[in-house]
Amino acid sequence: MSSDINERVVEGIDEERERPQRAAGLWRDAIRDLRKRPTVIISLLIILVVLAIGFFPSLFTDVDPKACDISRNKAPAEPGHPFGFSHEGCDYFAQTVYGAGPSVQLSLMVVTGTLIVGGLFGILAGFYGGWVDVLFSRAVDVFNSIPFLLGAILLLTMFRDIQMPFVGARLQAIIPAVITLIIFGWTSTMRLVRASVIEARNLDYVHAARSLGASNARLMFRHILPNAVAPVVSLIPLSIAGMISVEATLSFLGLGVRKPEITWGLMIDDATKWFVNGYPMLLIIPSAFLIATVLAFVLLGDAIRDALDPKLR
Amino acid sequence: MTVELDRQGSHNGYVEGLPGYRDDAPLLEVEDLQVEFHTRDGVARAVNGVDFSLRAGETLAVVGESGSGKSVTAQAIMGILEEPPARVAGGEIRFRGVDLLKLSAERRRRIRANHVAMVFQDALSALNPVWTVGFQLGELFRKHRGMSRKDARRRAVELLDMVRIPAAAQRVDEYPHQFSGGMRQRVMIAMALALDPEVLIADEPTTALDVTVQAQIMRLLSDIQAERHMGLILITHDLGVVADVADDITVMYAGRAVEQANVRDTFASPAHPYTKALLRSIPRLDVKGQRLEVIAGLPPVLTDIPPGCAFAPRCGYAQDVCRTERPPLSTVTAGRSAACHFASEVMTDDVN
Amino acid sequence: MGRYVIRRLLQAVLTLFFVLFLLHYLLSLAIQVNGNPARTFFGDKPATPEQIAAVEAKFGTDDPCLDRLGDPCLGMFQQRMADWMTLDFGTNFDGYAVTDEIVRAVPPTLILFAISTSVWVLFGVTTGVLAAMKRGRFFDYLVRAGTTFTVAVPTFLLLVITQQLVGVSLGNWARDTFGRESVLGIVFQPSYDDRYPFLSLLVPGILLGAFGIAGITRLSRTSMLENLRADFVRTAKAKGLTSRRVTIVHTLRNSLIPVITLVGFTLADALGGTVITEGIYSIPGMGGLAYNATRENDLPVVIAIVAILSVCFMVVTLLIDLLYAVLDPRIRYE
Repeated sequence: MSSDINERVVEGIDEERERPQRAAGLWRDAIRDLRKRPTVIISLLIILVVLAIGFFPSLFTDVDPKACDISRNKAPAEPGHPFGFSHEGCDYFAQTVYGAGPSVQLSLMVVTGTLIVGGLFGILAGFYGGWVDVLFSRAVDVFNSIPFLLGAILLLTMFRDIQMPFVGARLQAIIPAVITLIIFGWTSTMRLVRASVIEARNLDYVHAARSLGASNARLMFRHILPNAVAPVVSLIPLSIAGMISVEATLSFLGLGVRKPEITWGLMIDDATKWFVNGYPMLLIIPSAFLIATVLAFVLLGDAIRDALDPKLR
Repeated sequence: MTVELDRQGSHNGYVEGLPGYRDDAPLLEVEDLQVEFHTRDGVARAVNGVDFSLRAGETLAVVGESGSGKSVTAQAIMGILEEPPARVAGGEIRFRGVDLLKLSAERRRRIRANHVAMVFQDALSALNPVWTVGFQLGELFRKHRGMSRKDARRRAVELLDMVRIPAAAQRVDEYPHQFSGGMRQRVMIAMALALDPEVLIADEPTTALDVTVQAQIMRLLSDIQAERHMGLILITHDLGVVADVADDITVMYAGRAVEQANVRDTFASPAHPYTKALLRSIPRLDVKGQRLEVIAGLPPVLTDIPPGCAFAPRCGYAQDVCRTERPPLSTVTAGRSAACHFASEVMTDDVN
Repeated sequence: MGRYVIRRLLQAVLTLFFVLFLLHYLLSLAIQVNGNPARTFFGDKPATPEQIAAVEAKFGTDDPCLDRLGDPCLGMFQQRMADWMTLDFGTNFDGYAVTDEIVRAVPPTLILFAISTSVWVLFGVTTGVLAAMKRGRFFDYLVRAGTTFTVAVPTFLLLVITQQLVGVSLGNWARDTFGRESVLGIVFQPSYDDRYPFLSLLVPGILLGAFGIAGITRLSRTSMLENLRADFVRTAKAKGLTSRRVTIVHTLRNSLIPVITLVGFTLADALGGTVITEGIYSIPGMGGLAYNATRENDLPVVIAIVAILSVCFMVVTLLIDLLYAVLDPRIRYE
């Protein structure tokens, strides 16, 4: 950890030797830095496992999570059923495995959506400035003035009975939430990208490229966008973490995925009343999975942010 | 007792009771000062044994590239190094015979601003943006002299007046960002002078300013110094300024003093190749049309200073001995010393 | 300063207009898509067109524009704005005036936010600043680990678990040991008790405070660290000030400017969080009202509360901006 005085001591040396590859060096240093941290490795492992569970649950269990036998309700663990049974008599391990899917899929879709929408609007607003910027920035103000969760609750309440054509039951359960969360979630990405683009727009090499006759599109995507990537990258894992949390919250409120689909939020809702009544594991198991998943993404995001901005570690 | 000590004795008078105090001792002596920084990449030796002394009324210029250790030396004298990562590894800093490094933190604190004060390079960042100039000046009187807010404010106005800031009575309630660069540096100077220190350290006081303003600030500093008979340590890389105001010069390279002499002698015939190279890199009006010389190469990395003379890789005079044996700072002629195996050859060489 | 305030106010009014219009449009769209709520009023019972028309008129949903998908219903918007200006928010499904319900809901929510804000300021800022002062030591690592963990636990989960553990288990023990009316018995309750609004809101208030506290603690820490290395802190040391004064007057004062802003934004964000907190703890505040209305699909209530909370949000952010200008002299004269 070097202090600023120390940097002042060696600034004369640093500036001349390292300037040419500073941008590339930022990423190389960051990756070298990340590889050395145990939290990053562990987080990545957890994330990989959760992603695998989320997309291919059948690889992890042969039991059908919806095949329930009410006579076995809340039965304890036994061979072949490591987590025991839910209050409806379903295999709890299979439920936990299948419960990852909606959270994981929804969060990835929402984050991709916000990156595309927010990124595009941010580039346009930052690059063109003027009335385009005013328009988008006012729009951000309007959407930001409705508290995120409140807006999501409102939209999902309003349109909760809509049937979408051509969509399977599973997707049907998450698509409305995905759209809603993108509508209220794109603003932070947009602001971040806009700020970086405005900064990059005024850099000398962009002026140089412009004077050499580069087209607007080329300027935006070849010269300016790469500069805006660093702040956004560290935001991705944190956004995914936030969205997994939000998905669980919405399901818990009955606004996200609904029965008979399975998700951690719903499992937690069901298990609440048994928590102090002799069956704490029913609540602890899905909660632990949820927290571990969110924690892994948060730790990864923090590590990336620190690595890209080492001065305040 | 000298006249100027009487003046200080009247209100500063903190240092007198401290161990080692002698009123006939030199104002400030630095002996074999060593400062290191502990970093992730190893220990950076920023200052490797610097000696100099300063008399009342004298101006000492400390010159060198960035990273040569001149600012660190100044901060070590003030006692404001960030520790850790910095550590004063050895040496003595004596003020009127009192070794400041041996004092408790509390005693050291009282020396600052009362006896030794400092003007920083960039006044915009060195002044607190959220307090008015009057508050930041008055604070010194309130905390060190126990004055009331009202009296402290009055003194702040007087100080701003002294550093020739127009309409001082109104400007005292303004914030640093409302002042121009030159005016801000005047505020900085006023702040350093508030408690009548005997030693003033000015760390590149004009670097952040326009050329026209630089001259005004230097004039102000040297006027006040003469008026108050202060010792002034002027840290700079502007050799033009050195020629104008300084009496003595210490040239630093890679954390060591490589040449010490009075300014006139040094400028006439430098005794160290580095000083010579520095002097050659100043543009001169009288020799037009010539290429301006630059010093080839880079200063050493402070975590890994090579054995022998640190300047050898960049030096035109270097021989094998320079790469193995570090030349000590030794007397070349009366009152001049240089750390070079070939000091006398360097001196007799034609400067141009 | 004056011009800045006026510009900022005009911006806020404009934003408010668009927010209200957006909400109105969404409500109209929801009715256009889902069908008129007057029909659901009758449930499965058959109703004559006249009966339906009467109910539509009662709920103010008799405008024909509601039958045309995508119609912005500008006439209705005008009418709605005029009603809202006079603080008339219509009636809910049970026939009560929404305005009365909201007036009753304000005090518990205010108490809840008073408690959460104290948690943010007293606990969040203090630990952040202390962690910065003890950078690299055990306490610093503890605070950083703690904030990371707080971020990772979804608020609703924290609420549910605490409600069960503290409200039920610990609460039962406290009520058995000290009596039903004892202070601890009331504090450790699983739900709101309108006889003791403050005491029974303490636990949910602290839990709502846990929402967003990580950000405040972290920002206090980084902001403090950033300022500790600032040049003006070095100047303050060079002025021979005590380290206490250097820390408080020349570092903390500067560091708190962004933190106060974040406290404001967190408060604004937590307006959404109240829906969950008040819903789970059955607190009859604004969020509780919205929670129940959501469950009952009572759109006029939901939209009125969202509108009011959005206005609160805007007022809070406006106040933060103005406060920022007061705290940071560099902004004031721009």
